[in-house]
Amino acid sequence: MEWIDSSHLSLGLFFVGLYGVISQRNVIKTIISINIMDAAAILFLITANLQPGSVPPIAGGDPSRMADPVPQALMITAIVIGVSVTAMCLALFIRMAHRYGSSDWEKIVHRVED
Amino acid sequence: MLIQYIPTLYVLVLLPVLIGAMGYFLPRRIYQGVLLVFGLVMIAISAVVFYEVRVLGEVIEHVAGWGESVSISLRADELSAPLVLMTNVLFFAFFVFNSRAPYMDNTFQYLFMTLQCSLIALFLSGDLFNVYVVMEVGMLAVCILIMYKKEKQSVYDGMMYLMINFLAMAFMLLGLGYLYRITGVLDFVGMHNKIAQINDPRALVLPYALIMTAIALKAALFPMFSWLPRAHGAPSAPSIISATLSGVQVKAGVYLLIRMQWVFSPVIDASVFFAVLGFVTAVVGFLLAVSQKDIKLILAYHTVSQVGLIVLGLNGGSPYAFWGGMYHIINHALFKGLLFLTAGVIIDHYGTRNYAQIRGVFRRMPWIGIAGFAGVLGITGTPLFNGSISKYLIQNGLQGNLAEIGMFIVNLGTVLSFVKYSTMFFGKAPDHVKPVKDPYVNGVSMVIGFGCLAGGIFGAQAVQLFFGQGYNLDGALGAEKLTMFAITLALGIALYFGVVTRIGGFLQRVRDNKVNFNQVSLLIAIFFAFLTAYLYLTV
Repeated sequence: MEWIDSSHLSLGLFFVGLYGVISQRNVIKTIISINIMDAAAILFLITANLQPGSVPPIAGGDPSRMADPVPQALMITAIVIGVSVTAMCLALFIRMAHRYGSSDWEKIVHRVED
Repeated sequence: MLIQYIPTLYVLVLLPVLIGAMGYFLPRRIYQGVLLVFGLVMIAISAVVFYEVRVLGEVIEHVAGWGESVSISLRADELSAPLVLMTNVLFFAFFVFNSRAPYMDNTFQYLFMTLQCSLIALFLSGDLFNVYVVMEVGMLAVCILIMYKKEKQSVYDGMMYLMINFLAMAFMLLGLGYLYRITGVLDFVGMHNKIAQINDPRALVLPYALIMTAIALKAALFPMFSWLPRAHGAPSAPSIISATLSGVQVKAGVYLLIRMQWVFSPVIDASVFFAVLGFVTAVVGFLLAVSQKDIKLILAYHTVSQVGLIVLGLNGGSPYAFWGGMYHIINHALFKGLLFLTAGVIIDHYGTRNYAQIRGVFRRMPWIGIAGFAGVLGITGTPLFNGSISKYLIQNGLQGNLAEIGMFIVNLGTVLSFVKYSTMFFGKAPDHVKPVKDPYVNGVSMVIGFGCLAGGIFGAQAVQLFFGQGYNLDGALGAEKLTMFAITLALGIALYFGVVTRIGGFLQRVRDNKVNFNQVSLLIAIFFAFLTAYLYLTV
């Protein structure tokens, strides 16, 4: 079972999310699925090149045992971006649901007037 | 020079958003004036940067004095400097064009500045994670801007755009993580150098496929272009936003395609794949454009087609085709921007988007008519106009290949579809249509129209100026160009009146065929799987 490490796990999670985006017709569920994909990518980056026994990169620790600080700093940014884009998606979803009276992609596409 | 004393590139990136934020609470008129003056300053700065890049080579600035490939860096080189200059000039022109539009309030102007900032940052950034961040920022700004005139289907268009691009950015983030794990850096040059030392090329297949899926979606390559006409041709999108998106923003995807191919170039070379993909995109784009009735959608599908042509040129395998593709990026920004601007004016005055109900643009609004027609001549590659030069370069670069025939087909399709588009310029206008009096609208359209003409007459000089490549282009009116164009035009007109006007029922079925979000996601997944399989077989 050694192949179950964080990179394979996050890759699996990513494709679970992708499956959700393809198969779910509910708008909320697709938003959640994209968030799963985003979370998988963030998990992948945080655990990239992580050595067992390393300590968090905070001032005062032993620098030789610290984990790589770059991905951690970057992923804070990525999380913030993910949250704000999700908020935007949800806000638009409320407008769209009021307008077309449905949360089903297939029904909405036929109710959009050209 | 200037650059040694001031961090010019940082100023270029930060100024739009800082000025936009600080002036936000000023009254609308004053704010607009401030932004206009500031637009000129931006053009001046980017011209200085462009000059320095051409004379002294690439300009690099590192944050806080950290070393190469460790720090966050901004980098202007021969690829990005012309694009930054083009972005600033066009944003200024569009801003002037729009100065009397009713929806031009402070929020709109601020978001427009944010979009400009994100594009400049994308072109100048030397680091993949920054590119990811500014792409997300630009995506949010675009999403709001295309819904700005709250009309019929605004929310749906915005939502589709946002969700599809959010999905693509998840691919990009995972690919970026893979690349970071393998190379340990995020800087383009650093990654390029590290990748050159990698023994096992298969380790790079997955990051390459992930990143290229996201970038190909941003560049609207086949089969992932269905979001583009929705966004660019949205009824709720102001015409300057459509012009900005088609003229400049799509080019960000193409630029990243070139950049990332270069980063991976020591190990993975998929230029054949992208050349074929570009050709397919170009053909599918014009086939769908021919079937549209809505003039904004016709133009939007032609953006798909022209981007395919650019990608074909860039991956054609010869410097001729490459620089032709680069020049076509600039030319397409000019004529497609102009076409969208004039189309917006025409739609506002005629009150319809259907090309069949619009007649007599030349008589009722001569300036808009002439400028719009210059755009049509540019996109069809008429001799003397800018499109002919870049298409000639691409065609010459592909000499002796199957791709050259492909090039002819694409050009034929463009001509065919613009024969249809041009019918609205002639004839007699309905009485309710008023002439256009706004001097900014007429003036800017005419200036960009002359730009299209100048880009053709001084084609060789323009290629020399922008890219430093001296090519003998056989004059603006070479015999070969004239014969080729005459044959294409005759065939195009014959096909339009012989075939296209007689298959209305079929075209209606093509128009009715809509894809929903799940199908778009499936296409993205298929593209990703196909690209991965292709790479495993060839690398």
